[in-house]
Amino acid sequence: MRTSAPLRSKSFEVFENGIGPGKWPDSISVGMFMTIHISPWLLRQKWILVAIGLPALVALWWAFRPEKLWINQKVNEPAPFDTSADPQPILTGRFEGNARHTNGRATIYKKPGGEYLQLSDFTAPSGPDIHVALVHDDAQAKSGLDSLDLGPLKANQSDQNYNLPGGTDLDKYDAVLIYAERPHAVFGLAKLEPF
Amino acid sequence: MVRNFKTAGILAGVVLALGLPLAYAQSSAKTLETGTFHGKVHNTSGRATIYREADGRLILRLTNFKTSNGPDVHVVLIAAKDADDDANFLKNSTERVELGALKGNEGDQNYEIPAGTDLKKFQTISIYCERFNANFGAAPLEKF
Repeated sequence: MRTSAPLRSKSFEVFENGIGPGKWPDSISVGMFMTIHISPWLLRQKWILVAIGLPALVALWWAFRPEKLWINQKVNEPAPFDTSADPQPILTGRFEGNARHTNGRATIYKKPGGEYLQLSDFTAPSGPDIHVALVHDDAQAKSGLDSLDLGPLKANQSDQNYNLPGGTDLDKYDAVLIYAERPHAVFGLAKLEPF
Repeated sequence: MVRNFKTAGILAGVVLALGLPLAYAQSSAKTLETGTFHGKVHNTSGRATIYREADGRLILRLTNFKTSNGPDVHVVLIAAKDADDDANFLKNSTERVELGALKGNEGDQNYEIPAGTDLKKFQTISIYCERFNANFGAAPLEKF
């Protein structure tokens, strides 16, 4: 009897100390003799979590900037020089490969009077009856349906211009072809891409 | 009457003298090189063109340009014929010329190329993510 009474009161004290009103719960007593001291560790762990976790999150955000996945940054700078008075290049491409001995660039320009093709930085083999044509790359002038003959090649070197007939639908063609009429051989092909 | 003609003549002369060089200077940006972007990991498209302005400055202009937005993305000229998609530049220790931070991941934009840059050596424009050493896209340049 004597021993049980102080024990009970002690456990009650502990209980009172533990979850008393206005006190931080640094221990929780379960039943009569058991007291679980977990809250200081938990508190420390929370601090560790915040101390490590928050900078880690910030670092991850800084490194990957995930918001940029759905935020676009649009700019629209004008050209630093005024070329509005010049003919505007609209399509351009280079003749491919050395195999056909044709090198250089083909560019289609737009000017107030219409469009023209310019060959620049250009060399081709010399020969009779070499022509310049606009073609659709798939057809490659074999069918003759999707090609537009621009006339005989003016020179096998240096810059040269070829006027496009009025009303030429540039959507129909995507390449410039240098070809020989009589042996019907392709000398060079330049695929055109928007400038 | 004579005086009027004289004034008109002088005026015309002044207009010509001032106007002609101006008109000439305006249209004297020369297109040196151009190329189109390719990029698989980060879809990159558009055109890169290098101009030489009347005063000799070299300008890189991106047109119809589009790539993905990302952290610490730069525009660099690299000493290579072309760059593989996702090429690792530091490992390859490819020489490069920094043109600045990418101004936007969409739209037309200009970058000044440092004076004295050898365009015969630096032949490719790369959209380059410094942080992850990744190549978003590259445009091999060819003579215009």
